[in-house]
Amino acid sequence: MNMYHYAIRRLLYAIPVLIGVTLVIFLLFNVVAGDPTLILLGKHATLQQMVELRHELGLDKSMLMQYCDTLKSAFTLNFGRSWATKQQIMQMIKGGAYASLTLSIPAFVLASLAAIAMALLAAFFRGKLLDRSLVVVSVIMMSISVLAYILFGQWVFAYKLGWFEIAGYEYGFPNFLPYIILPAIIWIVLSIGPDVRFYRTVVLDEVHQDYVRTARAKGLSNRIILFKHVLKNAMIPIITNLVIQVPSLILGALLIENFFGIPGLGNITLQAINNSDFPVIKAMTILSSMLYIIFNIITDVLYTLVDPRVKLK
Amino acid sequence: MKNLIKLGVFVLIVLGMWFYTKRVHTPQNQNEKVLVTVGAAQIKGFDPAQTDDVYSACEVAKIYEGLLGYHYLKRPYELVPNLAAALPTVSEDGCVYTFSIKEGIKFHDNTCFPAGQGRELVAEDFVYTIKRVADPKVQSPWFSMLAEKIQGLDAWRNKYAVVAQTDYTEAVAGLKAVDRYTLQFTLIRPWPQFPYILAMGFCYAVPHEAVQHYGAEFLNHPVGTGPFTLQAFNPQLNKLIYYKNPTFRDKRFPSEAAEAYQHLLADAGKKLPLVDKIITHILPEEQPRWLKFQQGTIDVADIASDSIAVEVVQGDRIAPRLQEKGIQLFLEPEQSTGLFVINNGHVLFKNNAKLRQALSLAFDEQRYNELFHKGTAVLAQSIIPPGLEGYQKDYTNPYKIHDLAKARKLLTAAGYPGGKGLPVITLDVHATTQHRQQGEFFKKCMERIGVKIKVVPNTFPELLKRIDQKMTMLHALSWSADYPDAEGFLCLLYHSDQSMGIGAYFNDPAYNALYEKAIVMQPSSERTKLYEQLNSMAAEHVPAIYSVHRPHPVLYHGWIKNYLWADCLYGTEQYINIDLEQKKALQAKF
Amino acid sequence: MIAPPFPRSLWAETLRQMLQKKLTVVAMAVVFLYTMVALLAHWGLIAGDWNVEVGGSYAAPSIQHWLGTDIFGRSVLAKIIKGTEVAMSVGFVVALIAVTMGVALGALAGYFGGIVDECIVWFYTTVASIPNIMLLLALTFILGKGILSVYIALGMTNWVELCRLIRGEVKRHKDQEYVQAATALGASHLRKLCRHILPNVLHIVIICFALIFQFAIKSEVILSYLGLGVQNSPSWGVMIDDARVELARGIWWQLVFATLAMFLIVLAFNILSDALRDALDPKLKGK
Repeated sequence: MNMYHYAIRRLLYAIPVLIGVTLVIFLLFNVVAGDPTLILLGKHATLQQMVELRHELGLDKSMLMQYCDTLKSAFTLNFGRSWATKQQIMQMIKGGAYASLTLSIPAFVLASLAAIAMALLAAFFRGKLLDRSLVVVSVIMMSISVLAYILFGQWVFAYKLGWFEIAGYEYGFPNFLPYIILPAIIWIVLSIGPDVRFYRTVVLDEVHQDYVRTARAKGLSNRIILFKHVLKNAMIPIITNLVIQVPSLILGALLIENFFGIPGLGNITLQAINNSDFPVIKAMTILSSMLYIIFNIITDVLYTLVDPRVKLK
Repeated sequence: MKNLIKLGVFVLIVLGMWFYTKRVHTPQNQNEKVLVTVGAAQIKGFDPAQTDDVYSACEVAKIYEGLLGYHYLKRPYELVPNLAAALPTVSEDGCVYTFSIKEGIKFHDNTCFPAGQGRELVAEDFVYTIKRVADPKVQSPWFSMLAEKIQGLDAWRNKYAVVAQTDYTEAVAGLKAVDRYTLQFTLIRPWPQFPYILAMGFCYAVPHEAVQHYGAEFLNHPVGTGPFTLQAFNPQLNKLIYYKNPTFRDKRFPSEAAEAYQHLLADAGKKLPLVDKIITHILPEEQPRWLKFQQGTIDVADIASDSIAVEVVQGDRIAPRLQEKGIQLFLEPEQSTGLFVINNGHVLFKNNAKLRQALSLAFDEQRYNELFHKGTAVLAQSIIPPGLEGYQKDYTNPYKIHDLAKARKLLTAAGYPGGKGLPVITLDVHATTQHRQQGEFFKKCMERIGVKIKVVPNTFPELLKRIDQKMTMLHALSWSADYPDAEGFLCLLYHSDQSMGIGAYFNDPAYNALYEKAIVMQPSSERTKLYEQLNSMAAEHVPAIYSVHRPHPVLYHGWIKNYLWADCLYGTEQYINIDLEQKKALQAKF
Repeated sequence: MIAPPFPRSLWAETLRQMLQKKLTVVAMAVVFLYTMVALLAHWGLIAGDWNVEVGGSYAAPSIQHWLGTDIFGRSVLAKIIKGTEVAMSVGFVVALIAVTMGVALGALAGYFGGIVDECIVWFYTTVASIPNIMLLLALTFILGKGILSVYIALGMTNWVELCRLIRGEVKRHKDQEYVQAATALGASHLRKLCRHILPNVLHIVIICFALIFQFAIKSEVILSYLGLGVQNSPSWGVMIDDARVELARGIWWQLVFATLAMFLIVLAFNILSDALRDALDPKLKGK
């Protein structure tokens, strides 16, 4: 089987998963969560208004028809309007994605670079003090609650010391920069721990391979082996790990965005949760699931492309 | 190693850019008066017919205006003409209200008008606005306020509930533009509160051109007659920037004031608005809001719902460390009532006044006031808050004295000695940190007489839904005045087994009969007496456990002038002035 | 007869290896201590009086109130101890639910293959595709609020990774000689799975258990932030969430001590799972 066929097969396989996802979402939010009319009409609603509204929203249709609507929205990306803000959901998502990505991409890139560098360092000095302290530091960083990081970071570094903006956001480069620095640092601190640990093992796995022994036997220095040979091979799992993280970047960081007033998708999601704004919650869920599925396929295909050892199955 | 160096370089570049942008950003036009405010929740668009939360209403009122408004500096509230030329003339039977409208008022310049020039406001615009609230396609949450009040409006609405296209040209008997500047409302029966309703946000004048031009996107393109303009609303930006409306009519700062506000007359007679620009940040979390205010980057902080209020407001004073920075405090009681509402339709509480009274007696409102308001709130005896007709300053509700012995006795009399036989009672609250703590406090109070409470947090819409479906036993809510008439509170207990309101589901024939008598009366001493009577009935039947009428503290920096806050006042930014000299001097202290 | 998959001595060896490292011993001690505290609190032997007002509202840490008091004047120390019970029970029950689901589904899929495998893989891919936070939200909508739905919601969102691992391992073991030998001896499917294959993947289960345990404790904070957390009982998550409105007033003790309490146990579990991994399966490192 060639690459092309494989990619097609993977794509086809995504269809039942997508159906599954929409089905789960539909069951959870349409069937169980129920009636939106009060959210829309507020405390002064009359009975007649509710009936009219249910009709407007298509909630008096059969379950099957309602599911078809959900499925259709996943393919057409037309999610209608938010219940709480009455805004076009796709419009909200576009604006939010921009804000989220301006925070998450730099943070992600920096965090990944730092994690890879630290992992290499740790592997290079394996078992030495530096290695041990790096591992311990990353475990410590992982063990503190995100909420504590945010509350303290904002209070100490932004307010008491005045190093950063407390909260806010502006569109356009470079206007957003001052606002994303502290959130980005918190993001990096949060994500660097697990990454360092993972990359370190990946690199160490490679170190034990035969070719390293051969290289050593040839008399190459440790540094050259590590950077030239080991890193090149370790890049495969590292890149897959990076790619698989991409969808989560778009969803942003729920709490970080909310506290720093960044109007990204995380913020939108959290507001939607607080407002029981189901169309938005549904749209966000469907979109992020779709991204996850797509990036999974990309990872798989990449993996087989890069690493011939992986069998096409 | 190489990677580390690269990383270092990258970090340096980013930091460099940051310092650069920081430098570029700070210099502002020093002579421009910019008011910076903050909102605590998402703005739900700029359609007056749709916005029903306080935060959005504040934004809408910067742009849109109504026929009537309230005098900025007079208390008790006094209705004054805003877009109307004078207060309405009312017919003998109290059913026909005739307004004449100020001539020459222009809508904001906007592309929806021919040549982009704002059109003149006419009487027909109000006919359109009211019809739009009633339009079944618009689904305005406010229609119920007008239901069965204006002649022909309900029939018009019902007709178009089943017809695809609403026809605004079809006349409604009770809504008539007599000529270009004369407007006439005909009511089904006398409704003394009607002028107050016309001062509310959903009755603000909306031009039909804008609605047609922008369609569903109208909510992002506000076009009003008000003192400020907004280019377009971008909901994805947690920041709104308003500019002074260049075509605003000649509206002046009032030159009369209530005794307490005499000191606010420095700008009397000046043309409004007094600031050039307003920037409103939207920050849902309390911590960043508060830190930014202390930093001096936000001018006004409404901290009524923030727990920080307990810390910075000491009695009627402000904490000394804030005073040093020149920060000012505006503190006035809110016209609101905090309630732990009892679902009187629930089998447990229905016809069991003794149980309700026992709970009320067990609630320690003094301590509640201490914990959540540092003792600055007014303890609530009944449903009407101070400042409204029918509020009795010296009245004490016999079931509002914190008396555990009596509570236990009543509990025994109700058939639950020591709480035995009572199921766990649920208390639904809004899931914010503060509401949760208040719920926990209630729970602790009830534990003392052996009643077990379980606090259930909900998102706000969820809470409303549970209340509406009568799924709650107790729920915590606060009700604020929409307009300065106690009727807005008393109606909450009228036949409330049928409509939601606060979800008390209370039905008492004597109360209902008295209420029906009171609401058609014009303000008078007899009406006041009836209101008082209703208020004490609301106290002694204990359909809800009243907690406090909370104070409303607002902090503002020393350079902000003329600031005041009141429940029913919206769009007050036009009266605010900024002392730029003082701002420079004070900001040097930060 | 067939030799047990892991000779007894391997487990003993693991324990010996772990006890050699000081850090690991400390971590084990911490876990033990927390467990004891949780149990004692559960039986009401300590911190039964957490709901009693012992001082003024928001008293700072002092000799009288070591960790200060909260808004109602309750001791933060007592709340932290009582919160330990909640945290440990959340960690334990969630890990138990997740492990049970993960092992059961993973083993079924790996062992039987074919249509069963396809279905289970489809199911977990679907679940994995939905962002955890949304799934949590939806589940608490259905289950209502309270500690039970915290258990179930967190349990239901944390089994996928383990399921994937177990499926792979079981697949690998299924065709190995000792299982085929068991087949030849006429062992039933159930016996083969439980008696022969599962003991061989037990180490994965143990490591995942420790990881899910600490992850659940951390997640409880996020749930509390969303108002979906534990109700009517003090929890670290709620205490940290309280700090949203307290820290700006300079009230730092609830946040600091709750964070610290959580930090220690999470750290201990992280160290333990690392040690277990090093001792049991060098291949799994870092996963």
